[in-house]
Amino acid sequence: MQITKLKPVFYVLAVISGIVGIVMYFSSIFSGFFFILLALIIYYLYRLLATDLKTVKSDIIPLLKNLLIPLIGMSSAIIIGAIIMALTGYDPIKAYKALFYGGFVKNWSISILNATPLVFTGLSIAFAFKAGLFNIGAEGQYYIGAMVATFLGITFNLPPVLSLFLIFIIGGLLAAAYNFIPALLKVKTGAHEVITTMMFAHIAKYLSSIFVRGMGGDSAGLHPYVTDPILDTNWLMRFKSIFPSANYRVHIGILIGIGMALLVNYILYKTTFGYEIRAIGQNKDAARGQGISVGKNIFIALLFAGFLAGFAGVTQVVGLDHKMYENLNAGYGWNGISVALLAANHPIGVIFTALLWGVLDAGGQYMTRTTQIPNSIVEIIKGIMLFLIVARYIYSWLGNRIKRKLGTRIKKSGGAK
Amino acid sequence: MSTVKEDRIVLEMQHISKQFPNVLANEDVSIQLKEGEIISLLGENGAGKSTLMNVLYGLYRPSAGKIILNDEEVEFSSPKDAIEKGLGMVHQHFMLVDNLSVTENIILGSEPGKAGIIDYKSARKEVAELSEKYHLEVEPDAIIESLSVGLQQRVEILKALYRKARILILDEPTAVLTPHEVDQLFLVIKKLRDSGVSMIIITHKLEEVKAISDRVYILRRGKCEGLRNTKDVTKEDLANLMVGREVVLTVHKEKKEVTGDSIFNLENVIVKNEKGINALDGLSLNVRPGEIVGIAGVDGNGQTELAEVLMGLCKLESGRIYYKGEDISELTTKQRRNKSISNVPADRHRFGLILPMTISENMVLGFHDEKPYVHGINLALDVIHNYSEKMVKDFDIRTPGVDIPAGNLSGGNQQKVILAREFSRNPDFLLVAQPTRGLDVGAIEYIHSQILKMRDRNVGILLISLELEEIFSLSDRILVLYEGKIVKEFVPEETTDKEVGFYMTGGKKE
Repeated sequence: MQITKLKPVFYVLAVISGIVGIVMYFSSIFSGFFFILLALIIYYLYRLLATDLKTVKSDIIPLLKNLLIPLIGMSSAIIIGAIIMALTGYDPIKAYKALFYGGFVKNWSISILNATPLVFTGLSIAFAFKAGLFNIGAEGQYYIGAMVATFLGITFNLPPVLSLFLIFIIGGLLAAAYNFIPALLKVKTGAHEVITTMMFAHIAKYLSSIFVRGMGGDSAGLHPYVTDPILDTNWLMRFKSIFPSANYRVHIGILIGIGMALLVNYILYKTTFGYEIRAIGQNKDAARGQGISVGKNIFIALLFAGFLAGFAGVTQVVGLDHKMYENLNAGYGWNGISVALLAANHPIGVIFTALLWGVLDAGGQYMTRTTQIPNSIVEIIKGIMLFLIVARYIYSWLGNRIKRKLGTRIKKSGGAK
Repeated sequence: MSTVKEDRIVLEMQHISKQFPNVLANEDVSIQLKEGEIISLLGENGAGKSTLMNVLYGLYRPSAGKIILNDEEVEFSSPKDAIEKGLGMVHQHFMLVDNLSVTENIILGSEPGKAGIIDYKSARKEVAELSEKYHLEVEPDAIIESLSVGLQQRVEILKALYRKARILILDEPTAVLTPHEVDQLFLVIKKLRDSGVSMIIITHKLEEVKAISDRVYILRRGKCEGLRNTKDVTKEDLANLMVGREVVLTVHKEKKEVTGDSIFNLENVIVKNEKGINALDGLSLNVRPGEIVGIAGVDGNGQTELAEVLMGLCKLESGRIYYKGEDISELTTKQRRNKSISNVPADRHRFGLILPMTISENMVLGFHDEKPYVHGINLALDVIHNYSEKMVKDFDIRTPGVDIPAGNLSGGNQQKVILAREFSRNPDFLLVAQPTRGLDVGAIEYIHSQILKMRDRNVGILLISLELEEIFSLSDRILVLYEGKIVKEFVPEETTDKEVGFYMTGGKKE
């Protein structure tokens, strides 16, 4: 019983160790891994002391079970990718060595930079999915966030932290507001959000061209157009200022993303709002029948999804680019769909799938540069991976078949009484 | 009753076992079917009746045992094989294409004709001949969606006969029919038997067993509990065999005087359905505290709309709704529920539960934002968990825990979750629609006793049910709903199901 009194001590230790580990890891100091491991050990040690082995087991086992299918999907995709490479005359071992070395080690910083906006757009789409909505227009909300961040980044001259805080909040809110019309149409007329948000995404994209030209930059007629840079004071902090050895471009946007994922997870599974969202997403009729306001919740959910996607644009501008380019076909909104699906719309899962996508992109570039194996192989692997993981029912089908076969065989050999 | 010409055995299933990954669905079951005979497979939900028939029909492979058809051992790897050998199955949920005609549906999969061109003329003729021969009158060119459920069932039977079925399996054939349609179906079944078709009827209704079958096999927990000649067995015996313990078949309902003002009134309520037709057409009714008012009627006469308009789920075109003397016509669902109006919806999967969510999450659905289940913006997860565990105990819900999805429970236990949620709120008015649809005898008994308990607590109860038997055994008053209006009021002790059925189908006193 004494041990429960020490709960805060254990938790603080675990959290500190976890944060230190994560920051180190994102600064490409890979020994940070041991701190992350330590955090997990402290956490489960506490659980073990406070409860018993059985409860801890029942915590971990479902978690591992949920990870099993994605892991099988990933490894199968990698194997199929190897077969394709072998058939087309490339050396798969060499390719994968380069791919993973590039993605996880050599260009780990680029992987993080790739993953950061995907965490936000992935969260946006995953959250909307939980409410039964398909926020396919995250790309558009991304552009709105980026435009707001550029405009405010150039004009705001406030104390740095306050200024950044306001840029994030206003950028998020305006991106949310950009979903106002689709949300209203959805609730009032039933217009499908796939159509409306996608159209709005195109509008935002072309709006950004006008915006970029209006925000100064090089007028010498060079292509692509670029805006003026934002003020230095509005730059997002970088890992370099914590660990000087870190890559100079990597900013703490990924930490904000992780924070957001934790927040979304909290909202979904601990609050009444999240409960209503999940109820509506899984059975709108029952939710309505028990007096939950479907319209109100759908409305808020779409706006919140816009808010999250807006953060992707803001982070990209204040963290990495510090200005906005025209015709930047980043596609973070579209890729966010893959990231969300791959994570089965689980907010914590999104962090990992976004990083995986980032690693595959960065590693793929490294592989192409060093081994001359075409980058398209990475896209193929991504496609197969997505297919194998999203099409989860394949496994239950296969599983049942195998069990049935085994069952019959056992019956036959044993004989029935 | 038996018109068996000779005792030739056409089908024998010997020592069938079927093992699923976690369940032994059938264990050493043997049945025999004679030519021109009707047998019933009686059992509760989950007793293994459907599994056994699916094994016979080639949908499952048996884990052990063999099937002998016309003195020849057969092994079906798909329903196609079974159909070729003269088996036909009419499923509980019809397998018809709604927007095709009767003929098109019947020939689907074995179309006559050459080189990919269908010979509709001869197909149509053959269908017409078949339907005449077996007295299964249907218009060959009618579109399926325009037909009543009873007629759609005929199409299913014709479909099997068209494929030359000599053995018909009927899965819960009366589940969706009105009393009149049931009578007609029984006539058809007897006609088929007389022409030498053998039939296996899957059912959990005792009347049905008594009414049409020659012999009955009783299944319980995957095992065969017995074989009886229907004429020598009572309903009580069958029920006891089926459940494995003594069952009270008729609910013990104490007559009690209902006095006092009504708690719930509908006055001239008009509700339009999505086609713009008046689904409720000037309906008025009242419910007093401590009485059960039963709404009898054939499906589609406004039951759904009545339930929806009571809970504020559809638009009230005109008319008023009063509750405890207060006009609640304009209140939202939430506001109504907060005034201690509870609701057990007819379709528990669609309206009652969120199947992928856990039992405890479902247990507070609709009042998850009220004390003590909420703490600031958060759900009080501990409170909800403890509350659910108490409810699971109080309502005898069979589950390994409260954190598993509601979808993993059996139908009866799912219904108990809804009952626990709605009844434990101490309602003053209770709307109960189809509370026992698809449930087995044990669960029905329990749910009926719970509803009566609520009545004894002076709750006003409106019961909407398509099961006339249920209406009769529970109600203090019976109102007959026909085409959106209450056409007649009865006291159950002073009427018969035939009389009520007459009004349900639009009959009028001269």
